Amino acid sequence: MTLAPPQAHQPPQPPPPPPAAPAPAAAPASAPVRRSVPGRIRIITGVTVAALALLFTALAVGSATAREGLRVIGRDAGPQVIVTAKLYLALSDMDAQVANVLVMGDQYAQPRKEALERYDEQRSRANEALMQALSLADTDAERATVKSVLDLLGRYDRLAGQALLLDEQSGHAPGPPPQNVVEAYRGATKLMRVELLPQAYNLTLESGTIVRATYDEKDVMVPLLRDAVVLAGLLALGCLIWLQIFLARRFRRVFGPALLVATVTTVIALLSGMSVLGKDQDALRTAKLRGFDSVLTLAKARSISNSMQGDQSRYLLDKDWADTYEHTFLDKAMTVVYFDAGNLRTYHQKVATGSTDFLGLLGPQLVGKQGVDAHKAYRAFQAADARFRQLVTSGRTNAAVAERLGPVTTAFDAYDRALLELSARHQAEFTRAIESGEGALDNLWRLLPFAIGGIGLLVIAGVWPRLKEYR
Amino acid sequence: MKRALLVVLALVATAVAGCGTDEEESVLDKDQIVIAVRPDLPSVGFRRPDGGFEGFDVDVAAYIARKLHKQATYVAVLAADRAAVLTQGKADMVLATFTIDQKRKKDVLFAGPYHISYQDILQRPDESFKDVRDLRGRRICEVKGSNAAERVVKEREVAAQVVPFDDYNGCLAALKSHRVDAVTTNDVILAGLAAQDGSGLKLANAQFNEQRTGVGMRRGDVAGCEAVNRAITDMYQDGTAKRLLDRWFGKSGLDLSTVAVPQFEGCS
Repeated sequence: MTLAPPQAHQPPQPPPPPPAAPAPAAAPASAPVRRSVPGRIRIITGVTVAALALLFTALAVGSATAREGLRVIGRDAGPQVIVTAKLYLALSDMDAQVANVLVMGDQYAQPRKEALERYDEQRSRANEALMQALSLADTDAERATVKSVLDLLGRYDRLAGQALLLDEQSGHAPGPPPQNVVEAYRGATKLMRVELLPQAYNLTLESGTIVRATYDEKDVMVPLLRDAVVLAGLLALGCLIWLQIFLARRFRRVFGPALLVATVTTVIALLSGMSVLGKDQDALRTAKLRGFDSVLTLAKARSISNSMQGDQSRYLLDKDWADTYEHTFLDKAMTVVYFDAGNLRTYHQKVATGSTDFLGLLGPQLVGKQGVDAHKAYRAFQAADARFRQLVTSGRTNAAVAERLGPVTTAFDAYDRALLELSARHQAEFTRAIESGEGALDNLWRLLPFAIGGIGLLVIAGVWPRLKEYR
Repeated sequence: MKRALLVVLALVATAVAGCGTDEEESVLDKDQIVIAVRPDLPSVGFRRPDGGFEGFDVDVAAYIARKLHKQATYVAVLAADRAAVLTQGKADMVLATFTIDQKRKKDVLFAGPYHISYQDILQRPDESFKDVRDLRGRRICEVKGSNAAERVVKEREVAAQVVPFDDYNGCLAALKSHRVDAVTTNDVILAGLAAQDGSGLKLANAQFNEQRTGVGMRRGDVAGCEAVNRAITDMYQDGTAKRLLDRWFGKSGLDLSTVAVPQFEGCS
């Protein structure tokens, strides 16, 4: 706020001098050449209006930036994570249900019917999620991915249908189906696991990327714009005060009520602008760090876990590929809950110790009572897996099928529910933060036009009568 | 008043500049990047007599660098040094049949995977291994820094005898002179070695472990990792991945019937 004092002045006097007795002899502050009083009023008023315009521009840009951040994170990429995760889960479960039916053989008439019904349900869920994903897609690459999933899903349906038909015709005992069924299923599951699921998963990750990039940008910009608002606000206030002092000295009036009210309104606008931008920054931070990050991680963990339980049925069903399915199960398990283990047996043992000292996706997530519950549920699932594999390797195929369809599934469902509950808590936190951020902005935007109009009118009301005195 | 505006602008400018320098260095901030590739794997990452590199990994690296609008230079890296070249800052990216696993993720951030391969077994023409279990009691070679042989013994719990070698040349020579009975690692590596060798060594097509080959990057370079993932997505969507796989492994006997973008590991 350094107004250039004329070089001629010996004492370095601060430009807006304290309201003192009028000093008629003193040279005008801004120009060595004597200007007419109305001219100077116009100049000071112009500068003041410019400073006010700067303040409101900074406020508008700042709040627009924050709103954009809240929109992308809260209304676009955030929901997209939920939709694409739903897609992944539906797809993955379709394949798991087919695998389950294929190991049921000629027993389990009722469970078979239920599994097929569930397949249809998941199929329609996948459709619904695809539709939503398409409407939320932002880039051509995302749209291309959604379209590719749509195309492939039809092909998967056909291949899975063939495998199921062959299986029904073969009428085999519970356990691995005949080779022709296995081969038909291999085609289907390969399509699902190698082509469909990765694309769905990558869509979820891409939403995460968009949120991260948006957040990083806004987290720098919003505080910066808040600083700009403060600077512009102080500048505008300085100008308003300068204008009042000038008028007071020239016209021997102590107060100009209109300008006084304009100053107070500016202070209020400045303070509420600062507070709203501060709140929005907090809202973005809470939504991202306490809400979104966990929702994304848990969505990834649920997706990977779901395909893990599919790997159990596939391990049972396809002898030639059993080793690979066991390995992918272990690989996925270690992605979710990492213990340093060279093989699945050691992994089971380490999980069973109940140690909470692990890395992996769930490492930082399993906190609080719900976290402890989820951890317990995961241990139960892995314990069930150990029993199931023991039955398979000891050749008790019937019992293994029963274990897979009974206790293992029950344990998995409980674990999945625990993750869902954890996620719901973060989801709520996320929604709350976004809504409070948007609410604060709405209020500011509702008041801003009145503040701008009001201050403008008040400045005119304060200056106009003085200018009129010179006509 | 003009001066005041200048002051404001100057302050804002310093603040912006300050934030820029605070961030960790990303490959995205560089114009030139150094990519480490294998010098010892024919068709995958191989140093030509003229000193240049060729192979599938090298072509993928070049594609990614182009998508990131970076000038790339290549350096050789052996299996044992892949994490170290990143942590010591000698390379910005590693594309060197670097399999993603949770233990390595403590030191390295993985973009991709850009390719899924399977572990397989390379054998002499007179052998007939079909399955990893056939390796019980037999001698298999292990190249330093690779975890493939360990996976047979520990993960699959097949009691094979592991014989260590410095590189695959040593392995192959030992295989042909009956000092070891099998070489096991990624099928792409084995396919390349067999093709170069040309003496009739064959793949078992045992496919017993899924290996996710990723792009090693410095931990913390999340933005760079995400950009690489987008480049890999493009590589599959525009058909380059299929072309490159056909070019390098089209005649190797590898199953290339399905070429699809792999499920990414995620950058966080």
